[in-house]
Amino acid sequence: MAEIPVVTAETVTVDVNGTTYEREVEARRLLIHFLRDDLDLTGSHVGCDTGNCGACSVIVDGILVKSCMLLAVQVDGAKIETVEALAEEEQLSPLQQAFSDHHALQCGYCTPGMLMSATALLRENPRPNDEEIARAIQGNICRCTGYWNIFKAVKAASGQEVAE
Amino acid sequence: MTEPTTVAEPIVVEEAETKRGYAGQSVPRKEDKRLVQGEGVFFDDVKRHNMGYVHFVRSPYAHAKLRSVDVSKALEHPGVLGTLTGDEVALLTDPFFQISSPPGAHLRDFCLAVGKARFVGEPVAAVVATTRETARDASELVEVDYEPLPALTDAREALADDAPLLHDEAGTNLTWEGVYEWGDLDAAFAEADRVVKISELHFDRFNSTPLECNGALVEFNRGTGQWTIITNNQFPGFAAIMMGPAMRVGLDKLRFVTQDIGGGFGNKITSHPQLVACCLLARKLNRPVQWTEWRTDFHLSMSHGNERWFQDTEVAVKEDGTLLGFRTTALDDAGAWLRYEPLGGVIWAQVTPGMYRWRHIRLDFKQVTTNKAPVSPNRGYSRMQHLWFTERVIDIVAQELGLDPVEVRKRNYIRAEDMPYETPNGCVYDSGDYAKMLDLALELVGHGGLEEKRADAESRGKLLGVGIGSTLDSGTNNFGQSRLINPELQFSGNNEVATVKLDIFGEIVVTLGTTPQGQSHETTAAQVVADILGCSVDDVNVRAGHDSYWNSHAGFSGTYASQFAVTGLGAVKGATDMLAVEMKKLASVVLGCTPDDIELAEGFARMRENHEAALPFMALGAIINANNAGLPEDLDVTLNCRYVYRPPFQPPDVERKFGNLTLTYAAQVHVAVVEVDPETGVYEIVDYAAVDDCGKRINPQVVEGQVMGATAQAIGAATHETFTYDEDGNLLTPNFYDYHVPHALDMPPLKTGNIESPSPFTSMGTKGMGEGGGAGIHAVCAALQDALRPRGNPIVYDSSNPYHRVWELLSDPESSRQRVTVESR
Amino acid sequence: MLLSEVGYARPATLEQALGVLADYPGARALAGGQTLINVMKARAAAPDVLVDLAGIPALKGIELGPDGTLELGPMITYTELIGSAEARARPILGEVCAQIADVQVRNKGTIGGNVCSSDPTNHLPPLLVALGAVFTVTGATGERAVPAEEFFLGVYMTAAGPGELLTKITVPAGRSDGFASVPIGVDGTCIVNAAATVNGGVRVALGCVAATPVVVEAPSTDPAAVRAAVREAALEPPSDVHASTDYRRHLAEVVAARAVEQAERGA
Repeated sequence: MAEIPVVTAETVTVDVNGTTYEREVEARRLLIHFLRDDLDLTGSHVGCDTGNCGACSVIVDGILVKSCMLLAVQVDGAKIETVEALAEEEQLSPLQQAFSDHHALQCGYCTPGMLMSATALLRENPRPNDEEIARAIQGNICRCTGYWNIFKAVKAASGQEVAE
Repeated sequence: MTEPTTVAEPIVVEEAETKRGYAGQSVPRKEDKRLVQGEGVFFDDVKRHNMGYVHFVRSPYAHAKLRSVDVSKALEHPGVLGTLTGDEVALLTDPFFQISSPPGAHLRDFCLAVGKARFVGEPVAAVVATTRETARDASELVEVDYEPLPALTDAREALADDAPLLHDEAGTNLTWEGVYEWGDLDAAFAEADRVVKISELHFDRFNSTPLECNGALVEFNRGTGQWTIITNNQFPGFAAIMMGPAMRVGLDKLRFVTQDIGGGFGNKITSHPQLVACCLLARKLNRPVQWTEWRTDFHLSMSHGNERWFQDTEVAVKEDGTLLGFRTTALDDAGAWLRYEPLGGVIWAQVTPGMYRWRHIRLDFKQVTTNKAPVSPNRGYSRMQHLWFTERVIDIVAQELGLDPVEVRKRNYIRAEDMPYETPNGCVYDSGDYAKMLDLALELVGHGGLEEKRADAESRGKLLGVGIGSTLDSGTNNFGQSRLINPELQFSGNNEVATVKLDIFGEIVVTLGTTPQGQSHETTAAQVVADILGCSVDDVNVRAGHDSYWNSHAGFSGTYASQFAVTGLGAVKGATDMLAVEMKKLASVVLGCTPDDIELAEGFARMRENHEAALPFMALGAIINANNAGLPEDLDVTLNCRYVYRPPFQPPDVERKFGNLTLTYAAQVHVAVVEVDPETGVYEIVDYAAVDDCGKRINPQVVEGQVMGATAQAIGAATHETFTYDEDGNLLTPNFYDYHVPHALDMPPLKTGNIESPSPFTSMGTKGMGEGGGAGIHAVCAALQDALRPRGNPIVYDSSNPYHRVWELLSDPESSRQRVTVESR
Repeated sequence: MLLSEVGYARPATLEQALGVLADYPGARALAGGQTLINVMKARAAAPDVLVDLAGIPALKGIELGPDGTLELGPMITYTELIGSAEARARPILGEVCAQIADVQVRNKGTIGGNVCSSDPTNHLPPLLVALGAVFTVTGATGERAVPAEEFFLGVYMTAAGPGELLTKITVPAGRSDGFASVPIGVDGTCIVNAAATVNGGVRVALGCVAATPVVVEAPSTDPAAVRAAVREAALEPPSDVHASTDYRRHLAEVVAARAVEQAERGA
């Protein structure tokens, strides 16, 4: 029986938004807390404690996930994208601009997660219909907007016409 | 029947005063750039060197004596920095001020449970450690010896002889009662053709669950004795008034700093107990202390909306559906503590008659304590419950008398020509045209084709229903209404503050006393300033958030109760008007003319008759700040203006419980169309229209955003969102798993419309809006009742209608019908 | 929200994983984490070691045999199953996975995790019981085949005991399947659910009504007959904030009939 190490802490190396970080982290540390507290990337947020709200959504190795249900040690060696990667040198991405144009955010707390979910959608489906947009953000709770303006913003960002 | 008597004089706004400019445009939001980049600063984003993380030990019992709290093992755990217990708190602080008159006045409320725990989730001790996880671990080592007591979980049993007593000092669970009566009930019931009696209606307990929970990072400055509280509390004025005396310090020792807040909806007003605990710990441990409220903590303990039973309602009505009056008992379940209560016991009276012209009203408001989370403001605070009640009454009366609910509403709505309208208790509805809004909403859902839609639904095995929910959003409180709760209180009126300055390089800088949580204050304030100063919104820099160090605040500062468009923008307008006067004065001195010759336009102060004679703002700023030799001695110009907006209120008449309680009345009329699956009770909202009127809209997109958000929250409250307790006082919906809020796929199609009835009482014709008044709840309840008519005419009696309740109405309509009797006279 | 201290192991082979499970009796397998991490956040369970199965190729993979039998690795995510051409041989699998929660959860959550957590409200236990799937359980002493109906022992308890792992889910060939549920909101937690298959006989498995799926065989696809068969099962479903015992019992009849109706349409 090959013995493998069982560790309560280890050094993880991650690429987040193009920057490599190396940190010692407890095995129990959630990825969302690693990003926010250890790496000072506070754009991703915590809104619940049962994996329902999606405010913590990030993209890990190209896959949209809720970072509150991943341990930091699970992403050792991974490439992570967070909301901080979307704008380029203070120039908002078309998706971010569309969110502003269509008033798809009010308090802004769910917004980073929403943007990541929308980003993941548009990569896979550049011209989604209304139902596909809703399905794509089904895992992101918003309490301010009622989602209707978010649907419009994502549709507009995809270059499709939006009924005003 | 008596006609309304005196009505406040409206402010006349001259045509020439209104300029075309930014007001009325959907100007892009200044807040967005940082928020879409994840660069907002929410309290949990802030770090301080050496900060300790707090975890609160919370009671697992709904009602229990605390025989002992032993933190010794927790203190030994590596990484633990310190603790706080109820015994310490009872020595270091005084109980929080109680708004209530006796017996509620006798409650002894501290920042941690002292002697007894009174609801599941009540903080009993606090542990601070070097990491979040360590604090959580160590909290399990705190040993609390609980002696469980019977729990009181139903307000209707609170007054029974054998009911568990929550607060010995009060001697009763009935902590506040007020009887309100206006008009002539006896005459009304004598004149009635029918009396509709409804034994019991229930407005359920829920709240708005802002995505960001409460929290703070608290630092203590030993040298000055001042705490800096970086938090998301949305009413720092109230928090300070509560915390200062409790902590035995002056209010200037409490500096509140907020920037971005992830939603408030009223649920971030009563975090002061936890803030006090953090303050004590920061001082005790000589390091910053950080508290993050987790979702479960929030659901268990924070700011549940008022749960209210309407008992023994009697409605006097004429054969043709004219409503004469009603009497009812409103039994309000306040939970374990009165933290902002019993203000809910009077705030409903801002909308006593709802949107209707009945004049004879009696309401016996009884508020009781129970072993549940304390109630405090939730979007639509206390008015929503009452307006739901009036809408239920309308629909039930219409159904029982065989009348069309549209016609009954139109017959009884206060009419546009009645405005300003004085209600039976002296509130003044400023303006509005409810019938027009109803027509618009009905048109938006194609009400004309209703019968065809019903037939189509039936062919698919579904029951279709249409329901109307009309509601008011009363805004800008007169805090004098608190004297109707407790005549000893010294609160009245309202205020908000803004400062506007023109800086040395011509920058315009605005500070607000408000604490926005998504309401776009930076943007709308800039619109108002830019219009007055004749510059671009981009030239106006509105500081993000609130900082009491800026001294841009007053006793009532904060963002709550649908008032920013009146109080906040009123303060901004006032300060900017002052600044404009000063700019013109200064320019007139420099240009050698009179101030009346000067206009502010295109970023210049220039002579109206000669645009060449112009000073850019930078010149004005530079003169006053850096180059002021030679100016006339009596020139009263600082270019740094502070204005306190004060709405025109009188203290109300406490004896008659009469007087104007709110300055403005926005309105919303919603229509919901539902399809019910009679096999299961599952239903879907298949169409929805929301029509709003908030007077002059400074930024239409912002207003519409608020209407949409309120609609979504109301839909959630009508369907799955409830804080339900079992009989032992355990909350069955402590997180988003069981407390289901609407997600994207749950949203119905939405059609919106609006009209603008400017308020005659505000400087810009705006009305506060944002809370909404729960129209969606009223509409969905009405739609369900309409859908189920063919199945025995059940009565929708609860604001919350998850599938199991609809099923109950389908399988046993008779039980619900037993709540209603109609007597003929 | 915050986990207790835990050990973490990252095996690269099944043997290594089984080795850690044998060495640490309090160890739990970490599949997608979409349930287990939440359970640990609530501190409702506190395993002393997490054995991360993500790095074991043998646990992934989908194979479609010539006879139409599907062999599914337990570490396949819902998203992977939905997108799998092979899995379309039994379309109900992907259809049901697509109803689970949301994109993020489907991207990480695994079919093995869904069955091994044996939460009575989960989708896959009743589905796989209805389809007559077989679970391969592997331990230090070798592997054994457990029919789905015998795999679920109770709430959060399965036949994969201490030191064992679910290593394969085998789904027989077939297409006439249905699934119906009453969720709280679209794609929310199920209040009641039922899976049905009409490949010779009418077989229904009910979820949410007991600790483990309840099998009901109906004499025909006639809705009244299906409902009668459910009534004869004399269910005693739990009562909770979403449904009383009576309501759940009633809903069980309805979704059973609807699942059978869907299965029949596919036949």
